[in-house]
Amino acid sequence: MQDVFTTSDGAFDIVPIAMVFAGLMTGIAVGATPGLNGPFAMALSLPVLIWVFGVSDDALLPILGFLIGIMKGATVGGAVPAILFNTPGTPDAYLTTLDGHPMALKGEGKKALKVAHFSSVCGDTVSDIALFITAPVLAIMIERALDLPEKAALIILSLAFMAAVAGREPLKGLTVGLFGMLVALVGSTLSGNGPRMTMGVAELGAGLPLTSAILGILIIGEVFAGIEEAARRRLTGGGVMKAPEDRDTTLTWAERRRLLPRIFTSAGIGTAIGALPGIGTTLAATLGYDTARRLSKTPERFGTGEPEGVAATEAANSAVSGANLIPVMSLGIPGNFAAVFIILAVESVGDFTLGPQVFRFTEIREVPGFGMIMNSDLVVAFGVFTLMVLANIFNWTVGGVFLRSLAILVRIPKSVMLPIVLLICITAVYAQDGGMIAVWVMLGFGLIGYVLRQLEISILPFVIGFLLAPQLEQLIRGGFTASGGDPFYLIKSPIAVTFLVLAVLLLIFGNPSRRKSKA
Amino acid sequence: MGAAEPEAAPMAVRTRWDIGFGLLTMALSLLALFVWFPNDIVGGFIEVSAIGRTVPGDAFFPVILAVGIFLLGALQAVLATSRAMAGRPTPARTLTFSNVRFVAALVAIVLGGLTLMVWLGPLTVDALNTVEVLEGSYRNFSDTAPYKYIGFVVGGFSMTVALIVFTEGRLRRASVVAIITVLAGAILIFDILLKNVLLPPN
Repeated sequence: MQDVFTTSDGAFDIVPIAMVFAGLMTGIAVGATPGLNGPFAMALSLPVLIWVFGVSDDALLPILGFLIGIMKGATVGGAVPAILFNTPGTPDAYLTTLDGHPMALKGEGKKALKVAHFSSVCGDTVSDIALFITAPVLAIMIERALDLPEKAALIILSLAFMAAVAGREPLKGLTVGLFGMLVALVGSTLSGNGPRMTMGVAELGAGLPLTSAILGILIIGEVFAGIEEAARRRLTGGGVMKAPEDRDTTLTWAERRRLLPRIFTSAGIGTAIGALPGIGTTLAATLGYDTARRLSKTPERFGTGEPEGVAATEAANSAVSGANLIPVMSLGIPGNFAAVFIILAVESVGDFTLGPQVFRFTEIREVPGFGMIMNSDLVVAFGVFTLMVLANIFNWTVGGVFLRSLAILVRIPKSVMLPIVLLICITAVYAQDGGMIAVWVMLGFGLIGYVLRQLEISILPFVIGFLLAPQLEQLIRGGFTASGGDPFYLIKSPIAVTFLVLAVLLLIFGNPSRRKSKA
Repeated sequence: MGAAEPEAAPMAVRTRWDIGFGLLTMALSLLALFVWFPNDIVGGFIEVSAIGRTVPGDAFFPVILAVGIFLLGALQAVLATSRAMAGRPTPARTLTFSNVRFVAALVAIVLGGLTLMVWLGPLTVDALNTVEVLEGSYRNFSDTAPYKYIGFVVGGFSMTVALIVFTEGRLRRASVVAIITVLAGAILIFDILLKNVLLPPN
């Protein structure tokens, strides 16, 4: 492969592969630490990675490799506190505790971790294969069928979808999505008129610092909410938890084979859910667990330490992470927090841009004096796929051993971890985005994130709106200009109208809590 | 900060919050449309280019967004009112007094820590200038140890310790060791290993 995994003098470049390994191990450790999760670690790593590798095209694969490693590792690592100490770090890990912790209490803690690791890696691998096949196909279809108005309508549909499924109140979700778009325009420049909407703050003339804003709303908002929760409950934790002693630690190949049907069913559920932006791992884990119980010949054993319960949950929530990159790679639309940081890395480093144009399978030909000519974005995309495969191989081979050695991390209390995360974030954005303005922006957005969390309004529409605003503005302005100033150009395309009608229907009928309240 | 669970607001309060959310977004969007944009966006909504084409101006997309937010706010207010009149429960969560108290304490701690972080270095250099130990402003010493570390270490340590005490109600030796390790790690990475990167507030 040209320019990927080779250095400028043509030698094999081990750095991206080493970074995948380092990211995976970091991710597993982070997942096993209370108060931390994948997006936390991705947010903190990104500025450091940019300083180490720079922002040239060569830096992209090592940086993405590390972030992908964290994303995959953290999903697996979350099983450690859930199984050994009955302390789920995330809502989906709660379902792992249902059977994982009873197994630990029966002296099968290490066996439960082996089941969780085996199922998680299987689920992840299935969803990666789905990603490799689906993303290029979807991207090609979009590039062929959609023009400016249709692409604009597709972004509006994505925002509506996110608002409908990710929170309890779609209308408020959409409102904060538009608010996120408006905020993203602060300091942006379109013409010779200079930067817009800076409110007289000269430092905002180059726009709001992107990393600080995203880190603020996603991470600092959660840190604030976590500190409040820990203070309320006085969750000190340290020194009081002790892992139960193990008696049965073996997981035979026959047992693994018996788990496979449940694992693949759950992986399918997780992949399907992950491909839709914004739904997340909790629903996947719930459906995976519920389906496994329904299919089981002994459903009454679920909740008492049944390995199938652990396998179903872990396979489903791990399958979400790979499939979540389907809308990222094919549309440039992030479906979860981890995907937001993948997009942020791509926007900060090199010329590569995510979206349907990545998968243009142009003619490969040799030009004398220039070498092989082909779509370089395509090369990077398949480089990313290769890194994902490598991450899975590392996870299969050494991930499980590393995972089972991390019980000690669970003893670090959340009440110590969260203030430390805040300190590291302040240090990171100060250096990354250049000065105290970045710190104020991060803390301001952190407060917005905290308030939205308290009001149970999903943050994802805000983040998606914030990230996609420049693209939507470009599409809407381009479409309006191309139509000769026709104010109704958006509703003259049947495909765009279909997308917009779907968006409205989703907002009215697509909310899970609405369905639940009617049931 | 009490040890109790967050209190659930009564139905009437939640309805008021629901309606208030709609009214607030309407008010903010009107403020943006009639005060913020006219004073802060130089271009218009639609303009005619030099070759006579109708093109969107700098205000085109912001105005569309603000109008969208206004309409959604109005819809929210109307739906919340009609839900209240029909006696149907509203799902809205509210901010409680306990949340406001927490935010006030948090802001005080973080601002206190950042104030130390930003000002302790320059104040130390000024003080040493006064007693004629040093000569020159903080700018001359912002890349010289220990002055470049004082604000970051003391401000960062105070803020983190205060948050841990606020959260746990106590401070353990292990927590202090963890904070010192993180501060040392940050200095090692951001100041010693990485070039062209500065620790706050330098």
